[in-house]
Amino acid sequence: MFNDLDPILHSQLRLAVMSLLISVKEAEFTFLKEKTNATAGNLSVQIQKLKEAGYIEVIKQFKDNYPQTICKITSSGIRAFEEYVKNLQAYLTQPK
Amino acid sequence: MEQEKKLTEQESLHLITMMINKAKDSYHDTGVGAMMWGAVIAVCSLVRLSELHFGYRLPFDIYLLTLAAIIPQIFITIKEKKERRVKSYDDAFIDYLWLGFGISIFLLILISNNIFNEWGAWTNEYKPETGKGNSFGFYEFVAPLFLMLYGMPTFVTGAACKFKPMMWGGLFCWVCCIVTIYTSIKIDLILTALSAIVAWFIPGILMEKEYRLYKKEQAQLNV
Repeated sequence: MFNDLDPILHSQLRLAVMSLLISVKEAEFTFLKEKTNATAGNLSVQIQKLKEAGYIEVIKQFKDNYPQTICKITSSGIRAFEEYVKNLQAYLTQPK
Repeated sequence: MEQEKKLTEQESLHLITMMINKAKDSYHDTGVGAMMWGAVIAVCSLVRLSELHFGYRLPFDIYLLTLAAIIPQIFITIKEKKERRVKSYDDAFIDYLWLGFGISIFLLILISNNIFNEWGAWTNEYKPETGKGNSFGFYEFVAPLFLMLYGMPTFVTGAACKFKPMMWGGLFCWVCCIVTIYTSIKIDLILTALSAIVAWFIPGILMEKEYRLYKKEQAQLNV
């Protein structure tokens, strides 16, 4: 019996963002954009979805008079990611 | 990267691994701070050695240079922090480790000066009777203590950042710490200078080289 993979995470860009954020304490939007090779528009939409799911926290502030967006994974985001990886492993290790 | 592309399980796992590796490779220290401190401590030790060897005295204590080096270090830290677009879990730990090291060095200087002043006054009282001066060399006494402290944050930083030259540098400081217990002040100063070069200056050069390579790669990727 396999659990369904979390639909919020089972999407390329959202999973990429979560995988980056799980490895660091916090990251700037520009860092996520560079590492995922996504467009700013695409990334903004997916970040908003992750934020609405409560998986990430988005902090908007100013740095040297320029707007800066910082993303941080939340504890429920960490739990969801761990659950996703666990389910993924279960799928991959199932006998064929 | 398309936002709604559905992934197979294998693709998901591959993506997670790839992104975690990318995140790991996201920050490189410039190495400027390490190089500066390595050079400052080495210069201070060698100048003090030349003072002892050639019998002259500078009009100021050369170790004041370490206090002056705090100013550029503050600017280096602010600049590096500004440039960073990502904070890792290790960052805060390493920052507090080196802050703790700085405070420990300050306390060690304070304690040693205090002990030496009291010891000096006590031996001076007995000088007219014994006819002997103070044979207790202050620098000879503190060199192993400084080297012991130098080794600790260097070794831990090297281990935490998986940067072997710093780990070896920390170990080198501890070996020199043991050696300096038994050697004269001049050898102590040479070993202190050597430790600063091995523990900080050389790793700093290697870090700077890696940082430049990383910047070059990033520039090529963004073309």
